[in-house]
Amino acid sequence: MNNRQLPKLRELLIILLMMCFSFDLLAGMIPGNSSEEERFVVVKGVVYDTESGETIPGVNILEKGTNNGTITDLDGSFTLDVADNATLVFSFVGYLSQEVAVQGQSSLDIRLSPDLTSLEEVIVIGYGSQRKQDMTGAVSVVKTDELIQQPTAQLTNQLQGRVSGVTITGSGQPGEAPQIRIRGINTFGNNDPLYIVDGVASSGINDINPNDVESMQVLKDAASASIYGSRAANGVIIITTKKGKGKVSVNYSGYAGVQTVQKGNPWNILSPQEMAELKFTALRNTNPGEAINDDQYGNGQSPVLPNYIAPVGANTVDESLYNLNPFYSDPSELNNFYRIVEANKEGTNWFQEIFNPASIQSHDIAVSGGSDQGNYFFSMNYFDQQGTLMNTYMKRYTLRSNTSFNITDNFRIGENLAFSLTDNPRVDARTEGSAIGMAMRQQPIIPVYDIRGNFAGSFGSGLGNAKNPVAMQERMKNNRGEGTRLFGNVYAELDFLRNFTARTSFGGQIANSNWNSFTYPEYENAENGSQNRYNEAASSNINWTFTNTLTYKNTFNELHNLSALIGSESYKNTGREVGGGTLGYFSFDPNFTTLSTGAGTQTNYSSRYSDALSSIFARVDYSFNEKYLFGATIRRDGSSRFLNTQYGWFPAVSAGWRISDESFMSGSSSWLDDLKIRGGYGIMGNQINVSPSNAFTTYGSSRTASYYPIGGTTIVEGFQQTRIGNPDAKWEKNINSNIGIDASLFQGRIQFTADYYRKDIDDLLFTPELIGSAGTASPPAVNIAQMTNQGIDMDLSGYFDLGRDFRLNTTITFTSYNNEIVNIADGVNNFDVEGRRFNGSTLVRNQVGHSVGQFFGYEIEGFWNSQAEIDAANEGARASSGNSNAVYQESMGVGRFRYADQDGNNMVTSSDRTFLGNPHPDFSYGLNIGLEYRSWDFSMFLYGVQGNEVWNNVKWFTDFYSSFAGAKSHTALYDSWTPQNHNATAPIQEGTGSFSTANVPNSYFVEDGSYLRARQMQLGYRFAPSMLERVGISNLRVYVQAVNLFTITGYSGLDPELSRGGTDTSFGIDEGSYPNQKQFIFGLNIGI
Amino acid sequence: MKSLKHISLAFCAALAFGLGSCSDEFLDQPAIGALSDDVIANQAGLEKLLVGAYAALDGNQFGGGSAWEKAPDNWVYGSVAGGDASKGSFGGDQPAIDPIAKFEADASNGFFNSKWRAGYEGINRTNAILKLLPNVENIPEDVRKNIEGQARFLRGHYYFDLKKMFNMVPWIDENTENPNQPNDKDIWPMIEADFLFAYENLPTTQPEAGRANNWAAAAYLAKTYLYQKKYNEASPLFTAIVASGQTSSGEKYGLMDEFHDNFNPSVENNKESVFAIQMTANDGTNTIANANEGGMLNFPYNSPFRCCGFYQPTQDLVNAYKTNPQTGLPYLDNWNNNPVKSDMGVSSGDPFTPYEGSLDPRLDWTVGRRGLPYLDWGHHPGANWIRDQSYAGPYAPKKNIYWQATEAEHADQSSWAPGTAINVLVIRYADVLLMAAEVEANLGNVALAREYVNQVRRRAANPQGFVYKYANPAAPMNGFSNVPAANYVVAEYSAADMGNTEDALKAIYFERRLELAMEGHRFFDLVRWGIAESSLNSYFAYQGSLTSDVRGGRFVSGRSEYYPIPLRQIDLSVNAEGVPVLKQNPGYN
Repeated sequence: MNNRQLPKLRELLIILLMMCFSFDLLAGMIPGNSSEEERFVVVKGVVYDTESGETIPGVNILEKGTNNGTITDLDGSFTLDVADNATLVFSFVGYLSQEVAVQGQSSLDIRLSPDLTSLEEVIVIGYGSQRKQDMTGAVSVVKTDELIQQPTAQLTNQLQGRVSGVTITGSGQPGEAPQIRIRGINTFGNNDPLYIVDGVASSGINDINPNDVESMQVLKDAASASIYGSRAANGVIIITTKKGKGKVSVNYSGYAGVQTVQKGNPWNILSPQEMAELKFTALRNTNPGEAINDDQYGNGQSPVLPNYIAPVGANTVDESLYNLNPFYSDPSELNNFYRIVEANKEGTNWFQEIFNPASIQSHDIAVSGGSDQGNYFFSMNYFDQQGTLMNTYMKRYTLRSNTSFNITDNFRIGENLAFSLTDNPRVDARTEGSAIGMAMRQQPIIPVYDIRGNFAGSFGSGLGNAKNPVAMQERMKNNRGEGTRLFGNVYAELDFLRNFTARTSFGGQIANSNWNSFTYPEYENAENGSQNRYNEAASSNINWTFTNTLTYKNTFNELHNLSALIGSESYKNTGREVGGGTLGYFSFDPNFTTLSTGAGTQTNYSSRYSDALSSIFARVDYSFNEKYLFGATIRRDGSSRFLNTQYGWFPAVSAGWRISDESFMSGSSSWLDDLKIRGGYGIMGNQINVSPSNAFTTYGSSRTASYYPIGGTTIVEGFQQTRIGNPDAKWEKNINSNIGIDASLFQGRIQFTADYYRKDIDDLLFTPELIGSAGTASPPAVNIAQMTNQGIDMDLSGYFDLGRDFRLNTTITFTSYNNEIVNIADGVNNFDVEGRRFNGSTLVRNQVGHSVGQFFGYEIEGFWNSQAEIDAANEGARASSGNSNAVYQESMGVGRFRYADQDGNNMVTSSDRTFLGNPHPDFSYGLNIGLEYRSWDFSMFLYGVQGNEVWNNVKWFTDFYSSFAGAKSHTALYDSWTPQNHNATAPIQEGTGSFSTANVPNSYFVEDGSYLRARQMQLGYRFAPSMLERVGISNLRVYVQAVNLFTITGYSGLDPELSRGGTDTSFGIDEGSYPNQKQFIFGLNIGI
Repeated sequence: MKSLKHISLAFCAALAFGLGSCSDEFLDQPAIGALSDDVIANQAGLEKLLVGAYAALDGNQFGGGSAWEKAPDNWVYGSVAGGDASKGSFGGDQPAIDPIAKFEADASNGFFNSKWRAGYEGINRTNAILKLLPNVENIPEDVRKNIEGQARFLRGHYYFDLKKMFNMVPWIDENTENPNQPNDKDIWPMIEADFLFAYENLPTTQPEAGRANNWAAAAYLAKTYLYQKKYNEASPLFTAIVASGQTSSGEKYGLMDEFHDNFNPSVENNKESVFAIQMTANDGTNTIANANEGGMLNFPYNSPFRCCGFYQPTQDLVNAYKTNPQTGLPYLDNWNNNPVKSDMGVSSGDPFTPYEGSLDPRLDWTVGRRGLPYLDWGHHPGANWIRDQSYAGPYAPKKNIYWQATEAEHADQSSWAPGTAINVLVIRYADVLLMAAEVEANLGNVALAREYVNQVRRRAANPQGFVYKYANPAAPMNGFSNVPAANYVVAEYSAADMGNTEDALKAIYFERRLELAMEGHRFFDLVRWGIAESSLNSYFAYQGSLTSDVRGGRFVSGRSEYYPIPLRQIDLSVNAEGVPVLKQNPGYN
């Protein structure tokens, strides 16, 4: 019997129960069997590939206009009961669909042609799917096979350069999620896209095993993304994980390799003797004519390196005085230590001391299969990437189970579930305080260890205040942090009444993480922490998404295609964190230290959060004759983050015109397969930049800020206002227009997509800094700012036969956007961020009319080469200001920087600061080249970024003697201003920094950050099936690979690709980054 | 297809039901871990808000900026800028202080903004109390007055601090709706009104020593009069304070027998402490947030204190403590002639004999210098504890240093630099006496003025309060010998020394420096006396010849008396017409 149009009570009940709806409402409405008037035949057949002649398993066969269908089995054969006048539609991904009239035949052999144009390709879109040719929105489809060529644990890393419109910036640190931005920056807050994994919103995709991904789509415009309403503004990435099909197959893919470290002295640090010479030069420049009596380097004309740096400047030592307890627990013991440290006259290369070659490996096993009764996919992955920086690594175990069961022909239930366990200690690179920052700062005369093998450091005199980076990393080796996440969903789908599908899905995550760290007391540094301390914390998050949709699809008169969707969704997110710390441990053994075992002060804390969304949405897609395409979506979201305006509407409309199908284009049909113009307009929302407490004025207490020892010794509780509420905050509106073309030429051998877009972000939530006289309670976010982004995305692919068995395929992606702040707040033209060591001056200004995150400061015109130049400039300042005390520029001095007088008043003041650079690239691009020759394949992927600037703050430390007594660069000694060298790079080297050298942000630190990098190159060999059959293997491919083999850049730092950290209002700042390193990999794929 | 309609209708109904039934509650999300104002609108809540208003006294943990940018002792703005101390450390560390010390700082210097914000946070905390208070019923009248009095005392303090820093500052009180107010009014009358209210309404004794009482308010009110040169109003008030003033614990005001007791937490809140910001160490937070974090940099470098070598007394200050070996009086002019010998350029390994001339003993409780006991930490070793002598000289601060013997209680090592339990003295009785002396001298009551000054000098001359050599230099914690550590000669002024107002004032001005050095007063005193330009420019000439930090510094009359209104605040004060409401002080761009 067949089950056409016959929903059964049992199935409805299950589905309705899952929806938590009252099903008794429906009980009386279930239709009985409808009358059957057609006559049926049994059709059998086999489906072949026209090119290879091989049978194709898994082909979908549908009786047109019904839900009656089946799929081909392992041998490509099928059997189906159909009406004798039925038309069968054969479809399979990557092949052109074919319609065949049965006309009473009982046996059909079908040949499907591969679809080079992939227009029939079905794209997963919000709450459904669509043929690529019917798309009217801007959706990029990721080639997942190319994606996994990049050996990394993170999908987002792999995505870099693979699709247009997406900008991705990462570092070399294992497990550090790169920052991913779709079409520029949309808010001053969180710009992360929304991730939808198997239909469920996911906070991130870091723990997703890349091998599990079946398809990945990037929704870039309102037409495609607005159905996600209030979470769509930053773009949406939809990931669908694999399902099994066909006979049981087992696949292993794995790789292992080594990550190397760049050679030499990447920061150009001086040798100890050169450091001493620089010091004498700077002392003479600072105090001309004064005799030098240096603790370490003596009082001669030239510096002499001592044999020992502790005791200070000693040439002989009494080793019996040595007294050091590296694990002291009484802070006062620190006072009695006697350190003996030999000078490393050769110089310690701190970069090489902390970076070492490291291994990387990944092993993945997947078992899958399927039949008309259902399918399953089960996988396990072990990923282990050791960091090149000591004691950083990423280990991750993931398990996945995806199954679905066809209970009947029209009723399916299934689940997708993934579990991951991640152990990933990291450093906070990007700042001077990390081990990388310290490696750039620590003087080379300091050895790693003292004479007894304890750590050596800056303790002594004139050795700066940096910390020993090896010690820092060694001391964190027992710190642990584990994260686990269970993520997935269960779903049920019911096809009924010919054209309807109801789907319900309940999914979400349970994520937990816990971490502990021990702070060892220090003894080797100039500034030592003397306490030992143990910290431990744990956090958990539970969120769920409950989605119900009803889809209607129909074709009328074979001309009108209509599909419609309505749905509802609820989302709830809750979490908490608890933690504590204890001081005063008797033993530092990691097996002893717990929160309970320390004798000193204990502290604890906890926090909780909760937020929710409630939504309804709908979509209609209509096409006429497959030529004229229309789409519309609308969503209404309610958010718990808002009080007075909880609900917002997010509509979008779009249209497409397939010009190539018009009769006037028939002349070009020989070379033009498809040409479509499409456009869309809509509003996307955003609500994540609002604290759940934003609406409320609150008071609270803090032991550090509002408690007070009013009786003299013991702190007692006090209150302060903590937050000023804004109950009127509402949705950010991201108003988006997109126009694009899709073209396919020469039977799909060349495909081209281009989009131009503009996004106007209105009611942008901004937290204006309150005037000081309003106090320091947290001000609320208000809907006041505006921003625009416009840009062009382009993708071009080509497939070429270069000769017999020799094929080339190539893909180019191009991404370009222009971000502009239109408004910040009433009367507020800018806000500044990023202080670093500039003492109150900031180096990034976000200003109306400019892009977010631009570098800002004084522009260097040159040096003051003589006192006469200074006097003349001051004269000018006095003349134009009428003030006899006026000076051209603060702290002028011969050999210091002369800044540009931007406003022409002959004085350099804060109003002469200007924009010095833009960290946004002009464009970025990816180029993938794939070559196949018989069993050999080669691929290469190049990624480039052009026209961005980097703020190289490493130079603040290394190029100015005045900026702490740390390691200095060749530039400071050999290319700084001297009376003989006016054509220098750095200013005169002096003991004290000033406004006219390195105390304020200036253009010295800005460099071009453009680069072109060979992200990966791979040479593979696939063994012939005939060879493998004997050993029972169906396929085997081996490959060798080089990652990041070369980088072409003019940037002087470690790596021009600078991870962004948490904020988008400042990025592209280098203060000791974790560089992307070269990797050399051997890999293997086996299928059974 | 009837059934189709039914199903889809049912489905739609179900969707709508699913949404409609629970969404209001579903989206209801109050703030977590916070209190709303109706919960605290009662006596207990007000008391807690009042503690919170005291907690802002240390300027710390709110409003951005590092603690030392807004330290309550004004070590940067009062002492470094006044020539008592160098910034210290070396040129590359906290370079934003260098231009402040040399009066080259521009309005964008972040230190000013931090200080400004910290002050107004204190003001807002007091305003929150004063705003809520009238709406709260069931409070006994004396409690109400006490709360209001303390709140207004604190507000007066916060405004006083801002007034002496910036002069023209906007007045925000409990009735102000829009915090963007112009700085076009002299706020001395409002400060006076707050202190007057506190004086008239606060009780004398308070349950906790850290609370302000009526006499603290009287002293602050008198100080407010003094700053305005209202000597006639100040005089009776000072007379009353000297006659009957008491601490919040009910102890009659007086000078401690030993000068250094003022800086020892073991005897804090003593009879000399008129109003002090309470500090405590090891408070259970594992931070030094309540342990004078603003002073965390101000310890010798490479020393048991770990960090950071800031706040080094100047040679100019050290020389001021020279006394005439015959009269025991300071050199009111030319004190920099024949300076006190220093160990500049002498490494710690080379021998050094400290200065042997006659000195005021307060020097060695104020300044750590080579070869003398540094409390019970051993002899100051000279260069080894100094980060860069050529930049900031050879000396170390001392009033803010804790004793090794009580380190466990009075020092807090939970941060990268120490915290201490040493209170920040806003007004101490010696200060009251010297202010009273100044008032009387200006009114022509020179004899009374001299008596006040001599009370202070009498205490200084008490040999019990001298610094003595260690009993055993190898074991500094084992106590002191009875041999003074230096040649201390100090005596009172005779009637001949202070024959007229001019001479008296000169002596009083000098005495204030000797007594209150390194306590954050100097710059503000110089400005109100109108001698800042001459004093500081000769300081720059002298000190600049010794150390590179203040070389080229210049006090510019008409500008440098006040710090610039923070540029950030002017920018934030732009009104709807696009015009900044706040006006910059004269002389700043």
